[in-house]
Amino acid sequence: MSLTKGAWAALITVLVGALCLFLEPHVDWLGKWPAGWTLPVNDWISQGLGAALGILKPVARFFAWLLAFPMDGLTWLLSQSPWPLTIASVTALGWRLGGWKMALLGAVGFGFVLISGYWLQSMRTLALVFVSVPLALLMGLAIGILAYEVPRVKSGVNVVLDVMQTVPTFAYLTPLLFLFGFGPVVGLVASAIYAAPPMARNTLLGLERVEHDIREAAIMSGGTRRQQLFLVEIPAAANQIMIGVNQSLMAALSMVIIAAVIGGFDDIGWEVLLTMRKAWFGQAFLAGLVIVVFAIVIDRMSATLATQRKAFDLRISGAIVGIGAILSFIVNPDSTSYAMMGGVAASVDTAVGTFTANNGAALDSFKNGAMFYGLLPLRIGLDQAVLPFTWGFMWQPQYSLWLFGVAIALGAVLAIKGRVAQGIVLIIAVGILETGIADLPWPFVLIGVGALGWMGGGWKLARLITILLGTILLAGLWERALLSLYLSGASVFACAVVGGLLGLWAALSKTAWAIIRPMCDVLQTIPLFVFLIPVLMFFQIGEFSAFLAICMYAVVPMIRYTRHGLISTPPDMVEAAVSSGATRWQMLREVRAPYAAPSILLGLNQTILYAFAMLVIAALIGTTGLGQSIYLALGQADIGMGISAGAAMAILAFIADRLVQGFAEDRRKALGL
Amino acid sequence: MKNSFKLGVSALSIMVAGAAGAAEMGAVDEPIKLALNEWTGQHVTTQVAGEMLKAAGYKVEYVTAGMMNQFQAIADGDIHATLEIWSSNVSDEYARKIEEGTVVEIGDLGLNAREGIAYPAHVAEICPGLPAWEALKNCAVQFATAETIPNGRLVDYPADWGTPGADRMLGLELPFKAVPAGSEGALIAELRASTEKKSPLLITFWQPHWAMSAYDVQFVDLPAGEDACFTDASWGPNPNAVNDCDFSPSRIFKAGWSGLADKWPAAAEILTNYTLAVEDQQPMMGAVDVDGEAVDAVVAGWMAENEAKWKPIVDAATQ
Repeated sequence: MSLTKGAWAALITVLVGALCLFLEPHVDWLGKWPAGWTLPVNDWISQGLGAALGILKPVARFFAWLLAFPMDGLTWLLSQSPWPLTIASVTALGWRLGGWKMALLGAVGFGFVLISGYWLQSMRTLALVFVSVPLALLMGLAIGILAYEVPRVKSGVNVVLDVMQTVPTFAYLTPLLFLFGFGPVVGLVASAIYAAPPMARNTLLGLERVEHDIREAAIMSGGTRRQQLFLVEIPAAANQIMIGVNQSLMAALSMVIIAAVIGGFDDIGWEVLLTMRKAWFGQAFLAGLVIVVFAIVIDRMSATLATQRKAFDLRISGAIVGIGAILSFIVNPDSTSYAMMGGVAASVDTAVGTFTANNGAALDSFKNGAMFYGLLPLRIGLDQAVLPFTWGFMWQPQYSLWLFGVAIALGAVLAIKGRVAQGIVLIIAVGILETGIADLPWPFVLIGVGALGWMGGGWKLARLITILLGTILLAGLWERALLSLYLSGASVFACAVVGGLLGLWAALSKTAWAIIRPMCDVLQTIPLFVFLIPVLMFFQIGEFSAFLAICMYAVVPMIRYTRHGLISTPPDMVEAAVSSGATRWQMLREVRAPYAAPSILLGLNQTILYAFAMLVIAALIGTTGLGQSIYLALGQADIGMGISAGAAMAILAFIADRLVQGFAEDRRKALGL
Repeated sequence: MKNSFKLGVSALSIMVAGAAGAAEMGAVDEPIKLALNEWTGQHVTTQVAGEMLKAAGYKVEYVTAGMMNQFQAIADGDIHATLEIWSSNVSDEYARKIEEGTVVEIGDLGLNAREGIAYPAHVAEICPGLPAWEALKNCAVQFATAETIPNGRLVDYPADWGTPGADRMLGLELPFKAVPAGSEGALIAELRASTEKKSPLLITFWQPHWAMSAYDVQFVDLPAGEDACFTDASWGPNPNAVNDCDFSPSRIFKAGWSGLADKWPAAAEILTNYTLAVEDQQPMMGAVDVDGEAVDAVVAGWMAENEAKWKPIVDAATQ
């Protein structure tokens, strides 16, 4: 019988798993990686990096000193100019960019900031964003051009960009603090690091897509290479580059709250942190909404830059600014006297409290159900999670045998029907559920993930993945990594199901999308901290709360990409299906779904990355994986621990990313895209 | 060598300043930067000190700074003093900077703090016998949750503050599992939810804190936290373990930049001699966090009414 690639991979994995299961009671080092086999990676990093940072410090301090000028200048300008003038200027800019719609958006958005009572703090935040973004744009542009001009470095550059996006910012705040000194400059540099990759990727993509004719025309007209690049190719790629600008802006804004953890800058992020500390949900939510408003205004206005547009009359813009200037002399210059959202915030806060009080029992039983029958078995396995307290009876060793027996029988039935791979995967899944993710023997994980890599991307990927996982083992972070893997795995699974269904619904119904879309916008841009409070109030500290918090954030890309994939089937394919008499359901299943598969896989990929990003924040509600290590390291200013845990997190994200991309690539090839 | 010499000199100069009364004003045109950390009590402490410095004729600037991350800034002289450091919650970096001599300690704040195992008042009905700690032996199962079953659940400090709650449970052999809270906000949310739902809660907490009165938090009575308890296993109710007692009293102290005493001698003296009592700080915290008043207004009110408590320190340093 000839086996498919997938069946082979599954077969090897299940054999290793069975071997581990059989040997585990006899061989100590199979279950837990012995402490004696780990390397003192933390100390090496601390020492090595400590020395390197010491050398770089004077340069960095000089750089920080330079950056302080635009930073202070812009802060002064934004916080000193009277608020009517600022609102008018934004409105005028909106008019210039996109007519009355954008003007209205600017006016209403900034009007909201005024009545929120956080005007001054918001202006400081804005100053931070507007200094860090040009930095990120320049960096991104330079990296993108470099990768385009020197094809040899392209794959290296891609890895660097991945690292910049996947290592959690918390992990490198401590070294940045040491390098650049205290103050907003650290936040500025951190957000520039995080915001540069989208710019670099879009620059590269844009330049690669410049049409051949245009390039040839530039060569024929005898320009030097530099002239060709800056006068012809970059302008031709402008639209794609503008998408990069837009994405960079959004990324920088999402970093605002992270930068506030250091302090030194009384901005809106700090305000969110203060109210968080007091568990004032309403107020934290209000401060968070200010960031959402900025994100929406900036997103929509900068998005107009990426499309071909007509310029609107500059004289009207001038007139709006003029009115603002005149108003500045008339109205009360004290922005805080317009705060009128305090009452709303307080009543939202009370409402959360009342809801908790009234539904305490229901919330508890919901949580217990999810823990007993879902999360706990997944983490520690049925053999330990099934107790008289939870399931009403005690798990006996013979139950495991029966369970495996049933799984093998079912697997055999599938195999006989010709679905060998599915049969074996079923056995593996049952095995994982019986053992629990946190208790999986490490050789099994290494081989299993390696086999997945082999299926998705061949030997090269399998080797890379196994080596990377091996470094986590050697660094002694394996247990924490498995905990992180379990929590993010459970969240990603839930997100894939819920997000997929919501995406499907949004694709079928315009009304559904009109409801879901603004919720997606808010979930994606509001500082994630904010949602921790109601989750905590309802479900207390612990894994279930962390699970929910991660899901809230990570479900968004799944919804967006699923919908996008389903609605963007080429019209001719739809027509062909309609003319051959397909029903709506058949059309969805046979035409749209297969066509949408690569897009949905991309959404899954983003969901995985988002879930990892949120793990660090979930540490604030008491999870115990890598996120906690990173948070601990930040508190203790322990550079080695922070960097190694951050690297382990990035490795997990990187592996998940490459695996999903490998499978997506397969699908795309199968579809002939 | 050089560092320890510098440390010696600045410590000496502080001692001299502290003992000898009136000192030089120093660089009065440059602002003294005081750290504002993440909690209201510290804002009150800092602003009282700041007002005292202003009364002495200095310029003062308040700089927001994360508690854990501020020491690099103080070592660099970007912040000049931080006035409420809890010995129970201080990062390793502080010890490193003290060793380097770039940060120096400038005396106790005098805030009489207490940490302990605590519960919101309504929990006494769920577990009769509280506040006596022995009561917890029998009602652990009331406090059990999905993650801790069959043990009770104790909400401990965030992991980066250490694990004092877990140590107590181990020392006293109480059937509780300590769950780290992750953040102060999480601790407060637990207290709030427990009060709203009237559900059981055992938590590691401290005073002065505004939540003590807002959620009527009571401490469990544990055997007194004497030094012997932490070193001698035979001491206390459990003859086989250390930590079978209450928390040792926390020390709350102040620290400053190593150049503080040279640049602003009189200010260094004021900050060194400055103390604030719980009875003064707690009502001010309440006015801010419960009644929603602004910190500077509350502090200004207190300064006007309690001149006798702070004026002598300023006068001694400047006249």
